[in-house]
Amino acid sequence: MAADLKFAKTHEWVRSEANGVNTVGISSYAVEALTDLVFMQLPPVGKKVKAGESFGEIESVKAVSDLYAPISGEIVEVNTALPGKLETLGKDPYGEGWVVRIKADNPAELDNLLDRGAYESLVGSQPH
Amino acid sequence: MNTLTIWWDTAADGPTNMAADECLAAEAERRGSLLMRFYDWSTTTISLGGFQKIEDARRVGEIRGIPLVRRPSGGGAIVHGSDLTYAAAVPKSHPWGASPQVFYDALHGAMVEALAEHEIDARPYPAAGALPSGVDGAVGSDARSVPDESRFFCFDRRAAGDLVMAGPTEGSFSKIMGSAQRRLAGVVLQHGSLLLHGNTGVGGAARHLGVTDLLADKRPPESVGLSRAWGRRIATALGGSLHEQEASFLSAHHRDIAALALRFREDRWTARR
Repeated sequence: MAADLKFAKTHEWVRSEANGVNTVGISSYAVEALTDLVFMQLPPVGKKVKAGESFGEIESVKAVSDLYAPISGEIVEVNTALPGKLETLGKDPYGEGWVVRIKADNPAELDNLLDRGAYESLVGSQPH
Repeated sequence: MNTLTIWWDTAADGPTNMAADECLAAEAERRGSLLMRFYDWSTTTISLGGFQKIEDARRVGEIRGIPLVRRPSGGGAIVHGSDLTYAAAVPKSHPWGASPQVFYDALHGAMVEALAEHEIDARPYPAAGALPSGVDGAVGSDARSVPDESRFFCFDRRAAGDLVMAGPTEGSFSKIMGSAQRRLAGVVLQHGSLLLHGNTGVGGAARHLGVTDLLADKRPPESVGLSRAWGRRIATALGGSLHEQEASFLSAHHRDIAALALRFREDRWTARR
């Protein structure tokens, strides 16, 4: 898990790129907990999202889970290959398994997210 | 945290039941504890899994003309009307809320014990050493040659922790209980169904064998008694107390439920995939 990532309590990670764009994905903890992913629905490019709002859904054999935007902004890129290759989420969750890129409305919102240590404490305290 | 609160509701239509379950999830998050609701359906109804395609439902001739509602939870379609339907909601901060399998296994494990009280032998799938490949006894289904998520009906699918009983033929097993979840930001809503008997409102591939059909010479369980026994077993597994509510959840929350039900009545929701 790279040190430059930030995390939402709902298990999405964020990596800040250039020009206010942020790459968003799902943590390896969440992917592992869901197990046996079968479907994914992603938003269209251009969709506006608010922090904490659902922007997509993922289904495993037993559960449908919402994907929550960790920051507010506009979806500027979507990993359209992902729904057809869901195994990528497990194999490379912080690289090829990225989900969307969001152009932040307010970069200060990143300060509301957890750093790696805080996120590891959060998931470490949750029963497996 | 360690309490279980249960409501028994009268029959309602699909949108009302789905709205009540969303309301139950919000209430569980607010209270910080496990809540359950048992309910009936005002008429035979098909509930579709959250990711199932409406075209797939329209292709199944046996369910044509039957009311359809889309669940927020995952899994396959269920023909309701001859099952024990439940919704359970638990905060994600609860020990049972962190991962899908933990909650699934906790409730299904307690049901195995409740059924055993009625001398019914059910077990979680895969039952060790008891399920030869390609034999499962489900009506209208064959071997596991088709990916489970592409099977339309819940009771034709198999996932770890589903409950099965000995089937109608030697060495075969039939699924009698399945559940599926919607995992929201702070709370988990789990829907599930124990098939009490085959639904006479449908035929062909839409009808599956239920507990009563699989019992050779034993009395079938009575649903309220069984749900009570299940609740007690769940409370024991929690290490906490059981609170059975006299009033129905539907009546206690009727305004919120009526407002939430509007979404589940819309084609925009039902035909969203």
